[in-house]
Amino acid sequence: MRILSSRGTRGAALLAATALALSACSVQGGSGGEGGGDYPARAVEFTVPTEPGGSTDLITRALTKSLEEPLGQSTVVVNKPGANGKIAGKDVFSGNPDGYRVAVMPQSLFAVGPLVVEDPDAIQLDEMTFVKGLTREDYVMVVPSSSPFEKVEDVLAADNVKYGTSGAGTGNQLAQALLFGSAKVNATAVPFDGGGPQLTAVLGGKVDVGTVHVAEAYEQIQAGALRPLVAFSAERLEALPDVPTATEKGYDVVVDQRRFVAAPAGLPDDVRDKLATAIDEAVSSEEYAKLLQDNYITRWEADGSEVGDQLREASERFKTMTTELGVNLKGQS
Amino acid sequence: MTAPDQEQETRPSAAYARRQNVIAAAVLCAIGVGAAILSWQLGIGDLADPGPGLWPLIVSVAMAVIAAVLVVRSAPTGEEERFGRESLVVVIGVVSLLGYVLLFEQVGFEIPTVALLVLWLKLLGRESWRMTVIVSVVATAAIYLLFITGLEVSLPHIVHF
Amino acid sequence: MDFLSPVLDGFGVVFQPDNLLYCLLGVTLGMLVGVLPGLGPAATIAILLPITYNIEPTSAIIMLAGIFYGAQYGGTITSVLLRLPGEASSVVTAIDGHEMARQGRAGAALGIAAIGSFIGGTISIVVLTFVAPLVSGFAIDFGPAEYTMLALLGILLVTTLGTGSILKSLAMATLGLLLATIGQDPLLGTARLTFGSDQLLDGIDFVIVAMGLFGVGEILYNLESLRRKAPKATEVGSVYPTRKDLSESKGAIARGSASGFLLGILPGGGATMSSMVAYAVEKKATKRPERFGKGAIQGVAGPESANNAAATSSFIPLLSLGIPANATMAIMFGALMLQGITPGPLLVDEEPQLFWGVVNSMYVGNLLLLAMSLPLIGIFVRILKVRAAILAPLTILITMIGVYTVRNNVFDMFLVLALGVLGYLMKKVGFEPGPLVLAFVLGGILESAFRRSMRTFDGELTGFLGEPIAATLFGAIVLLVVLSALRALRTRKKAKKNKENDVPPAERRPEDRGEQRDRDPAEHVR
Repeated sequence: MRILSSRGTRGAALLAATALALSACSVQGGSGGEGGGDYPARAVEFTVPTEPGGSTDLITRALTKSLEEPLGQSTVVVNKPGANGKIAGKDVFSGNPDGYRVAVMPQSLFAVGPLVVEDPDAIQLDEMTFVKGLTREDYVMVVPSSSPFEKVEDVLAADNVKYGTSGAGTGNQLAQALLFGSAKVNATAVPFDGGGPQLTAVLGGKVDVGTVHVAEAYEQIQAGALRPLVAFSAERLEALPDVPTATEKGYDVVVDQRRFVAAPAGLPDDVRDKLATAIDEAVSSEEYAKLLQDNYITRWEADGSEVGDQLREASERFKTMTTELGVNLKGQS
Repeated sequence: MTAPDQEQETRPSAAYARRQNVIAAAVLCAIGVGAAILSWQLGIGDLADPGPGLWPLIVSVAMAVIAAVLVVRSAPTGEEERFGRESLVVVIGVVSLLGYVLLFEQVGFEIPTVALLVLWLKLLGRESWRMTVIVSVVATAAIYLLFITGLEVSLPHIVHF
Repeated sequence: MDFLSPVLDGFGVVFQPDNLLYCLLGVTLGMLVGVLPGLGPAATIAILLPITYNIEPTSAIIMLAGIFYGAQYGGTITSVLLRLPGEASSVVTAIDGHEMARQGRAGAALGIAAIGSFIGGTISIVVLTFVAPLVSGFAIDFGPAEYTMLALLGILLVTTLGTGSILKSLAMATLGLLLATIGQDPLLGTARLTFGSDQLLDGIDFVIVAMGLFGVGEILYNLESLRRKAPKATEVGSVYPTRKDLSESKGAIARGSASGFLLGILPGGGATMSSMVAYAVEKKATKRPERFGKGAIQGVAGPESANNAAATSSFIPLLSLGIPANATMAIMFGALMLQGITPGPLLVDEEPQLFWGVVNSMYVGNLLLLAMSLPLIGIFVRILKVRAAILAPLTILITMIGVYTVRNNVFDMFLVLALGVLGYLMKKVGFEPGPLVLAFVLGGILESAFRRSMRTFDGELTGFLGEPIAATLFGAIVLLVVLSALRALRTRKKAKKNKENDVPPAERRPEDRGEQRDRDPAEHVR
């Protein structure tokens, strides 16, 4: 049986050669991209490091929608989930610093992640050009309404606390570990696969307490199924003004999640400014404002250098606190 | 569905089938042992507080043991098939797909797609040139229209409208 | 009745012309993306999110919901015709559905799938209407301990997905469990068996495993015979299921609807697990388990009814608790948020129009899907008449591109290809992908749920017995093991009598019950 017909082989080889010769054109979508000309000359791609539907995704989609007019170009949102954002980051930040591919990144990847897993290959801050700060989301500790814990003091006086987290390397894990560490409470972390499953476990009384974003818990709190105990924000939450902060209770634990727009390092200043100005205009749109308000998300109005300062400050602070308190996020926190 | 003479072609002899069974089971066993070693290095912990390696270790040991039993019980079951010259077509298929994936993000999906279709239709499928050209061009255009124009999926592409 | 008036108002909402139109649009789109492998309802809904901005909330959610359950219908089509599961929940349909297609009964398989889906979906909506508030607590009652036991129970059913030797099924099941451990440790975040690759840090996507082993493996396997003969077009046969088909599937549809409804409520389990459980249940329930894997219509009817019932009931935790049960529901949550509606326990009272409008639209949607699928079957089965030499490259291309769209990642294309090669080799040496795929799904749940339980129980195994549901499930497991052992013992005794069998008794499945393997020798070769 003849496997290859020589005529077919030649034909295919010729075609393949033609294919390679033609390949010098620009590739759009995927990870291609090149600069030049007056920015922006074509669509700007925003990479979201999570699955569709999460708050990063929603924020980005709302942002890009309002961004098209001030930018004078269309925008594309690409979801590239994986490794807490590292896959998306590595992909975008290794590309050309031309402003056509940017990413919306979470603070936790840089400030919390390194405390949990040692990664020699982690994305460094100097691999990015920070374009603009976007949002801040605060955490609140909750218990089911059937819980014997009425106030945060009750939890901190308990002997053996099982607390839910939404996974290793998340801000809510850090916040609770720091709080229980400062109060010298014997507590065990039970990590779940995201905020939803954690909340389910809290509602079902499978864990004693849990800490989630305000938006995730708000409806349940209103319905009387959950009781908020303490917020991990610097000041009291606008949505839940009666809930004390950890700082008020004498524990200096301020942890939040922040999101920002970043481009590869070396993005020309004029491109960055142009993009930042357009984003400024987009975030003032009514649609975007409504989305933030409906989701109890706070604006984080910071320019590029402030974003960098915040990331450095938070990383440093969390590192110092975990070391001083002897909190080990790597194992049984 | 199949004529009896084709069955002769893929039905291996008992000795061949047994050898094939032993090799397959041995490969599984080796993977199990390898995974067990890697899992062990991850840290086992104990049942009350399992380390990252405990579960993979249990699973890989179970796999190695089952595979070891399969090595011993290698009598043909009648489900085995011979690898023959026609298996070479599969190798060509896989290699061409590897090439496709490698080129996919580099040069956009259009050219590799046409090239792959031509290769499979003409070389593997022995279709006529007319059929080959029509199907590959129309299919590529249809994929473009469906994914990029219709569903606005971000496929790497070089043709812009 | 007071309770019913908002429900009836909901019908008023559904029958507004533009809502009917959005419903039709949604289910049609859903069917389309269900057919495309890889591109799932989750991604489609995400793509459409920006559009829903400008639509009235109820209409928007009606459309998005239509995409979700429409995809369940669509996923079946490629599963049956090409053994290429378009959706995770259609994986088991590929086992018997494709076998039916090869026997010229593709129309019957697709027909029974459509009918089963319609009945499963509709039963689920009726039950949802009356008991949604009651069963929503069910989702919360399921914690780590309960999931541990549920997954354990599922793993016991793993070998029922294979048709060959039980030892080979077990080997594949362990391989599936091992593949599931690749990625970050679910509790500690440590990288495991990733060989230093970030791409593997999140583990392997289930869709990729299923499409690689089933779809790509099948295509590669068929390449061998591509030029061996002038490819004869498969007989298409009667397009619709016969009266006999219907009466044979009655029980399967009823059982599938029930198990699908219950499992669909559970976050994380959802449609995929329900279809697999339904398959296993049917194989256990039937008097002739040897027909499974060789074109048993119950193997299509049960899982298809289940996955549609589950698709509907997975709305319960979202709409009544604000907890998304799966990835698609998570995006639906996002869509509601975009509209300024936060799903939660107050939704039914605060937004009755939306709640009942969406729920009741599912009746209409399911009816539309049934009305669309039945006539379309005649067109779809024509795909089988396309020459294999043309169909193979087209299918593999759609698969590869579909896989890329899951995470916009080329690495996943390599992965699906590697798993395709594995699927091809498995077929050549007589291993089946079914047990591997099921074990893969359950493995991740079992490990993480067990370890979470151990943390909440302070490391005491007896903690499981303190949870009523978990303890009950544990009792069921013990019962199942004892019964299977007894049956195996009986089989062995019988087998000693039937010595003419060429298969060593230890390699026979207990389910065979001494019956001769009725394998047609031609089955081995395509």
